Parts: sequence; C-alpha cells; structure tokens
Amino acid sequence: MPSVFVYGTVFGGLAVQSGLHPLEVWGMSLLVFAGAAQFVAVPMLAAGASPLAIIVTTYVVNLRHYLMAATLAPAFQAFPRPWLALVAHGINDESFAVAVTRRNPPDPWCFVGSVLAVAGAFLAGVSVGTRLGGLVADPARWGLDFAFPAVFLALVAGQLRRRADWLVAGASALVAVAVAFVLPGNWHIVIAGVAVSAAAALLLQAEPA
Amino acid sequence: MRTDVWVVIAGMAIVTYLTRAPLLLMLARRALPPRVRLWLRLVPLAVLPALALPLILVDHGRLALSPGHPPLWGAAIVLVLAGWRVNLLVTVGLGVGVVAALRALA
Repeated sequence: MPSVFVYGTVFGGLAVQSGLHPLEVWGMSLLVFAGAAQFVAVPMLAAGASPLAIIVTTYVVNLRHYLMAATLAPAFQAFPRPWLALVAHGINDESFAVAVTRRNPPDPWCFVGSVLAVAGAFLAGVSVGTRLGGLVADPARWGLDFAFPAVFLALVAGQLRRRADWLVAGASALVAVAVAFVLPGNWHIVIAGVAVSAAAALLLQAEPA
Repeated sequence: MRTDVWVVIAGMAIVTYLTRAPLLLMLARRALPPRVRLWLRLVPLAVLPALALPLILVDHGRLALSPGHPPLWGAAIVLVLAGWRVNLLVTVGLGVGVVAALRALA
C-alpha cells in the first residue's frame, strides 16, 4: 500500500503542475480510478488533445480490465448484482495481482479488501500530491516533465518477458513516432497501440492460459 | 468549473467502467479465447511505448536524437533500472533526476 500512496502523490502533484484543478484531479481519481490511464490523460489534457482522443486512449489503456474481470467473475457467483456493479469499479492491477496470487480460484473477499485498501491509499496520496504540486514553480527545471514518459517506460519495461514482447513494444514505438509526425491530435497512441498489438496477436502463437 | 475538463473526466469514467463491469456482471463462466487473452496482454505493451517514445524523441515537432537531449539519457536510465526490476518510483525518480542534472549542467 505505501507504493500506491506514493504513486497517488506523484500523480496528484504532476496533474496539478500540468494545470488541472485539485478538484478535477480528485474527481478523476475517484471516478476513473485507473492510475495508468490517468497518467496518460493528464499530459494529453495539458497539450490540448481532442476530448475524443483522450477518451478513446483511456479505453484502450484500460482494455486489460476485461482480462481481469473475466478471471475474477467465477469467484463472485454468490454476490448480489448491485454489489457486483460496485465491486467492478474497484478492479485494479494491484488488487487483481494480490487476489490471484493468494488463492486459485481467487478469494472474492481478499479482492474486495485489497480494493478498499488500494482506493484509500491512492486517494490519500492524490490529496497530498495536489497540495505539494502547487509548490513547485518551474517543473521543467526539476525534470518533472520527464516524469510522464518515465512512468510509461518503467511500466512497460517491467512487463517485458518474452522476446516477442520486446518486438511488440519496439515496433509500436516506431509506428507511434512515425504516425505522430503525420497525424495531429495524439491519435498515434491508439493507432500504434491497437494496430501493433492486434497484428502481433494474430501472428504470434497463442499462449497457454 | 471547467466544463470541458469534466466532460473528458466523465467520458473517461464511462469507458473505463465499460472495461470493468460487463464481464464481472455477466459472471462469465468461460475463459476468454486464447488469442483474445494474448491480445489483451499485448495492448499495454504496445500502448505504453507508443505514448512514451514520441514524448521523448519529438521535441518541438522535430526528431531529437542528439546526445545533448537530456530525455534520451533519462530514458536509458529508466529502461536499465526497470529491466533490473528496481522499484517503479525509484526508477522514475532517478530518471527525472538525471534529466534535471543534465539540464542544470547545460
């Protein structure tokens, strides 16, 4: 949980520096509640990207939730629907990892407990971050503009396992840079991300579950 | 209140909920087809570099590949540290520190 708190603090600080109001940062954290997608959206908002591009990019970044929801679903057979609708909003990488590594099939209450802890730590971190973010006058001087690409690179590098993963990441980066020069409005992220991952999924051998 | 920002936040919230709720509420009993699973696993691996590299390599509309461009060094540090499975926030902090130091020296 401490890392989720710090992650939230960093997000809150950077988002305020990018020109978002603390209330907007907090609202986004509560309503979207998806750290990576929020990190993606903030520099796009700051750069004046089209709302549609930001929303579609958010959807693509969060596509992985389908995988988590499908994996968790069998464990939640006994839950009433209204509660499931609420639990669904809490799906996040950390809680998913905790629930599936502890037990197979995952324990629903372990997942719900982790969601509450993650949400509390994340929102508390965001609150602290939005206060701190206003204190830094010249973010570029401290290299803070680099924090966004650094987070994205670190997130992806931590997930690269097979050689094919490196190929997908490298190819997507090249395609994105090329498309970014041709197309305005930040559409290169969705185009490269979806096209390269779909091409790889068609060409590569499917993995055992 | 900036309505445009809240419209974006609302849109983000709706599409994100659409990635979380349907399969959980349907109580999907069957696992997703292997090729779909593979694709969903690969999407972040493609999206994240597609986000990061243009931010690092494109400076004021031009390709910035000279050694005098601090983000290149920052990116190298981040990739090496993250490859060694160093903690995410430590990795990002050191990358940011390298960029700040190089800018201070320039």
